[in-house]
Amino acid sequence: MFVLSVGKIPFIHVGNQVVSELGPIVQFTKAKGHSLSDSLDDVQRAEMKAYMELVYNMLLTSELFVQWCDDATAGEISRPRYSSPYSWPLGNILAYQKQWEVRRKMNAIGWGGKTLEQVYEDVNQCCQALSQRLGTQPYFFNKQATELDALVFGHLFTILTTRLTSTELAERVKSYSNLLSFCRRIEQTYFEDKKLMKD
Amino acid sequence: MAAAMELRCWGGDWGLPSVHTDSLVVLAYAKFSGAELSVSPVDWTWKTLTASVPELVCGDTVVQEPTQILNFLRKQRFNADYELTARQGADTMAYIALLEEKLRPALLHTFWVDAENYSNLTRPWFASRSPFPLNFFIPSRLANVALTRILVTRGEGLLHRISEVEGKIYSDAKECLNLLSYRLGTADYFFDNSPTSLDAFAFGFLAPLHKADLASSPLQSHLRQLDNLTRFCDNILAAHFSPDKPRLLPPVQETMDANLQKLTQLVNKESNLIEKMDDNLRSSPQHKPHRTEPKPSLSSSKNSTPA
Repeated sequence: MFVLSVGKIPFIHVGNQVVSELGPIVQFTKAKGHSLSDSLDDVQRAEMKAYMELVYNMLLTSELFVQWCDDATAGEISRPRYSSPYSWPLGNILAYQKQWEVRRKMNAIGWGGKTLEQVYEDVNQCCQALSQRLGTQPYFFNKQATELDALVFGHLFTILTTRLTSTELAERVKSYSNLLSFCRRIEQTYFEDKKLMKD
Repeated sequence: MAAAMELRCWGGDWGLPSVHTDSLVVLAYAKFSGAELSVSPVDWTWKTLTASVPELVCGDTVVQEPTQILNFLRKQRFNADYELTARQGADTMAYIALLEEKLRPALLHTFWVDAENYSNLTRPWFASRSPFPLNFFIPSRLANVALTRILVTRGEGLLHRISEVEGKIYSDAKECLNLLSYRLGTADYFFDNSPTSLDAFAFGFLAPLHKADLASSPLQSHLRQLDNLTRFCDNILAAHFSPDKPRLLPPVQETMDANLQKLTQLVNKESNLIEKMDDNLRSSPQHKPHRTEPKPSLSSSKNSTPA
């Protein structure tokens, strides 16, 4: 079983089943008997969940903001990419609908009035927090990978590799060397030899 | 520090200085950091309609949103997080994100969307604190904002209905309360023995849930089972918000602890370097990689490996 990463939507093929999004994937693999966070105690699990929420709250929201609320990026990259699997005019309609939905969400949580600079600063702070938490360890907890590592890797890798109108977002992430080496290490360990993930 | 600071917020009831979560966060932080704020409740004024609450006015500057206000206070050298390590600062950000994502939707639902609580408690309270004729539409406007926020952040489609997300947001909130309880343990505050911004945020979120006279709330009963969290709220109320308490002055300890903190940071840096060198030695080609080799005690201060 291997994990594909298509833009921001992770999904896995297992036989005939397709499971998408991180939460259900984690549940699915737990049901199959593989769980990464069993060895954590309660306080550590609380910490892990808190950091996962930080990633959802800051990184994911910032990614969405940059992709859909910045007119330049939305027009040049996000809408064309989103509408590409569909024929005209369905693709256009769906792309504009997605954009409207994301902007509505930004307004609801108070990000509607933010500028791009402020969002980059938020990403910076989030990366700083993650960088401090990671320190010099290979993974966030216990020298072995947990769901948090998978989540952080997914988001950082996406930010580093997705083409946008400006490279500022990627530059901010790159300025934290331990996060950069964390991503490289996971990519090399788990994705370049295509073997089963855990042994 | 020279200019007087004024905070506009919703007024208090149920034994709390304010019934509004965000206002409580700012009030608590001000107490913890020693900032003198003159509190002007927006109750019974037209500011209930026009102002975004809470709002801090200092001279010509107007700051909104609790996070921005706390940043502003820190810049004015009212810093309750001075003694935190970098790691604890990162933890603070993470736990605040946890509160915002997991607990806030359920709190909004309990107070503003749940029909019984809204009509028996929330609506009459806010209506009675708004001037005529605003009392007719302020509560429903706030309720709409709350509902939209829940649906947009938790719902997964355009036409999602609230009943479909209710179960999820409440189970998320209960899990969040459990996680907070584990993290707090038996301590008085989340970090060491002095309150920080995380304590302010936790207090702001938990206190209204703890103290409000809600008719039906599974979330409130869940909170009441977590003794350490209710004790946490009561402690803060007694220590910082009771009228007869003499105020603690934080600046006295600051210089001594600043030196201690610098020393601790230096020692941590040294031990990081030593650990790095050790790791390099172990991974050198002559050595076979041993994964479960017992590490020197320096690293055990960073993570606690369970037995």
